[in-house]
Order: sequence, then structure tokens, then C-alpha cells
Amino acid sequence: MSSQIRSELLKLRTTRSFWLLVGITAVLVVLITVLTLALDTRLETKPDVRSVLSTAGASGLMLLILGIVFAAGEYRHGTIAWTLLVTPDRLRVAAGQALACGIAGAVIGAGIAALTAAVALPWLAAKDAPTLSGGEVVGLFAGGTLYTALAAALGAGVGALLRNQAAAIVLVLLLLFVIDPVASAVVEGYDRYSLTGLEAALIGGTADDTGLDELPPVWLAAVLWTGYTAVLVAAAALLTSRRDI
Amino acid sequence: MLAVDRLTKRFGSTLAVDDLSFTASPGRVLGFLGPNGAGKTTTLRTLLGLTLPTSGTVTVDGRPYRELTDPVETVGAVLEGPQFHPGRTGRNHLRVLAAAARLPASRADEVLRLVELDGAGRRRVKGYSLGMRQRLSLAGALLGDPRALVLDEPANGLDPQGIRWLRDFLRGLAADGRTVLISSHVLAEVAQTVDEVAVISRGRLVAQGGVEELTRDAAAPIRVRTPDPERLREALAARNVAAEARGPNWLAIAGSSLETVGETAAEHGLVVYELFRDRHSLEDVFLELTGETEAGR
Repeated sequence: MSSQIRSELLKLRTTRSFWLLVGITAVLVVLITVLTLALDTRLETKPDVRSVLSTAGASGLMLLILGIVFAAGEYRHGTIAWTLLVTPDRLRVAAGQALACGIAGAVIGAGIAALTAAVALPWLAAKDAPTLSGGEVVGLFAGGTLYTALAAALGAGVGALLRNQAAAIVLVLLLLFVIDPVASAVVEGYDRYSLTGLEAALIGGTADDTGLDELPPVWLAAVLWTGYTAVLVAAAALLTSRRDI
Repeated sequence: MLAVDRLTKRFGSTLAVDDLSFTASPGRVLGFLGPNGAGKTTTLRTLLGLTLPTSGTVTVDGRPYRELTDPVETVGAVLEGPQFHPGRTGRNHLRVLAAAARLPASRADEVLRLVELDGAGRRRVKGYSLGMRQRLSLAGALLGDPRALVLDEPANGLDPQGIRWLRDFLRGLAADGRTVLISSHVLAEVAQTVDEVAVISRGRLVAQGGVEELTRDAAAPIRVRTPDPERLREALAARNVAAEARGPNWLAIAGSSLETVGETAAEHGLVVYELFRDRHSLEDVFLELTGETEAGR
């Protein structure tokens, strides 16, 4: 499996679109952090500060798209045939892509967390905002990194399953911004398990930020998100083994 | 050994391959021939586990491709119209494959040199010509130094020098004891490369055999070149063998044998420069075989 992951990581690193998406993500997160710190005057409570620092998690959406573009791109460019000639085991390929995206997501997430810390922590101190303990800050950034890793892996699962980049991105955006909120409003108790709820739990946001009643604990959010990814990867592997390339 | 056994493949109501069987053996180049749309690509993609058979089996050394434990060391494949990520360099494309196959990255440079593409390895594939893409594809097929090669229309896009290079290269691989299966719809490209051919039309096998065997025709006329064609014609006529003049110094003889003509010339002390029986060209055989079934559509 490690050889498959190394190959997939090399695939990621050797295209410009990957570095372009990483660059856009970093700029976007820094921009959000700077704008929030410059314009938000109500940084009076610890939850306010947590909100600012958890913007690192905003990169999760970009990494979700990165995972989709990567896995579905194999079908767009026809390189999936090469991949399957070398590794005929479809599950190994789909899992390798998700794990490679997860690793890339973790590294990018950690980098972006460091960038956010470098910009936000001195600024918050200068604004006399409430101070979070070292453990709390590390926890926030670790959660953000975990979320970017899981988001990229989920994206790879969606991309491998749907095979069409545009359709997969549109579907995920619809799911996140239309279906998920509607289901949360309509179905009692769904909040805790919605993608929005899981994301907020992972990146250390508050229920208030998301307008949800309650968030699941981080460990449960991570387990559920990983479970969703595993189901997508298994479905992609099953479908790929049953259809012609 | 590559074996296709009673393979049938349907796409909806379209029958692409119909009860097809043939084998490709080590040390030989098998030409897999047929017009466009005859089912060659479908058959080869099924052999490589990319397309699922409707019925029948396709195996590599006795196992379906998807069950091979070391696929790149067993079979190297060049697919028709090979596709690459346009933004990735040729060398990185090969490094990605090498990593998945647990081969050292240096192998990418080795195969690039082998296909004479080492000068372009660090360029993005989008700047490659069709011929360069074919060579890169062949480099990918050779990564694992495989025991068999499956090549689907590998000469597409190659210039005459490229085709000649490919021919010599494939002959060399077969001489090494490897199995080579090469498909083409342009017979001239492979006629000088292959040892035997399997010809398909409308998804069905219409002939398989050695080139020699398929082009041999016992009823074809005998040609003889001699400085004294008239004397030879008379000598043959005395044996009730009819001969016709075919240009200066040439005779065409039907209904006889090479032995009779040779012995007659010797008995009369006639000089013979050339004596042979006409052969059908492989192209004649191909057109005859596929023309019949295509006309039946």
C-alpha cells in the first residue's frame, strides 16, 4: 500500500493544478484571517478568538475540491488506465488516492495553521483579545489540520466514485450549502451528524458559529467523517471493478 | 502466453467481439489484424482487465490480468491513443508508474533512453508530438521489463523512421523470447514485423496462422526468368505444360510444379536466373478475408 500512496503523492506533486490550488488556499485563508482581524471589533470573548483561529479550517473546502479534481481528473485525462494497468486492484487504487490526499491535506493544513498562527497570534495580542492557553491553540490548529486531511480524502472518494470533475464539485457544493442545511432544519437531531456539524466540531468552531444546536465531540466527528470516506472509497472500488474503463 | 478463449463482448445491443479465440506464444510476434471497428481494441482492453468480458476468458500466463501479482513485469501495454496528464512531464509520468510498481525511479530514465526520448523527458507531455506520445507509451510498457507486450496500434503517429525503429525493436524483443501481440488496421505497418497473424472482422476470427502459411497459394502461377524464354516455352509445351511470355525474359506457367520447370530447363541446358511461385501478399489475404465478412454486413 505504501508504494501506491507514494505513487499517488507523486501524481499530486507533479501537476501545476495542485500547486495552484495550494497557493489559492493559503492566500484565501490568510486573507480571511486578516480581514476578520482588521474589521471585527468584538473580539472580547474566548469563543470570538477561537472563531478567528479556526479559519484555518476554511481551507477544508478547497482541499475537498482538490481531492475531487485529483481523483476524477484521472478519468478526465485518461490516466486511470495507466494506474489500473500497474495496480489492477481497484480498492487499492481508490484507497491509495484517498490516503494520499489525506496525507497531502494534513501537510497543507499544518502549513496553513502555521501561517494563520504567524498572522493572527501577534495581532490578537496587540488587540488585547482574551488569551487562549497553549493547549487550546494547539488543539484548534490540530483540529483544523485533521479536518483538511479528512476533507481532501473525502474529496478523493467523491471524485473516484463520480468520475466527472464538474459534476462532483457541483454535487458537493449542493450537499454542503443546500441539502445539508435543509436536512438540519427539517430532520430532528441531524445537526450533530451533518457535514457542517462535523466540520465545525473538527475545526473547533462553536455551535453558535454554525447556527446548530449541538456539535458532536471531535473524536466522533473524525470517526464519522472517516466512515463517510471509507464508504465512498469502497463504493468507488466496487463500481470501478464492475464497469469498463 | 496470452490466451483469448471464446471471448464475447457486448456493449448494449452491439456485439463487439464474437466467440473469439487465439493465443500468442513466447518468442513470436503475433499481428492482430482487422479493419477499424473489428473489435481489436475491445479484445486487447479485455485482455488487460480494463474491459469486462460478457463471456469467455482472457488470460496472461494462465491468469486473468486483474489477478496478476506483478502485472508490470508480466505484461507491458501500449493502449490505442495513449492518454497522459498534459501538465506532467514524460519522466514524471514514468516515475509515477515506477513508484506504484515498486521500481526504482532510475528505471524511468532507463526506459526513456531505450525509446530514444531521453532528451524530451523533462518536458510537459502537452508539448509532445503524436510520435513522442507513442514512444512515451512504449516506455511505460517497458518499465517492468515484461515477459509479454500488448500493443494496440503502436505505429499510429510514427513517421517511417519511427515505424522501422519499432519494427526492429519488437523483433529484438521477440528474439529475446518475449511474447509480442501487436494490433493494426494498416497491414503494411506490421507485415514485416510479425511471425503470425490473427485476422478478425466484425468481432470474429477469420484466420490465424503463420505469414508463410497464409500467403502460400498452390494454385498461383510459377514465374521464371531466363535469357531464352522461347526455347523454354517450347520445351515445356513438349511436356504439355503451357507457358506465357510476361515481358522480356519472363514466363508465367500455370498448372505445373517448380520441380517440373526446373528439370525441363536443366534437360535442355537452359540458363535460369529466377524461378518461384507467386505468393499472395499478406495484404491480399487480409483484404480478401475481411472484405468478405465486411461485405456481409
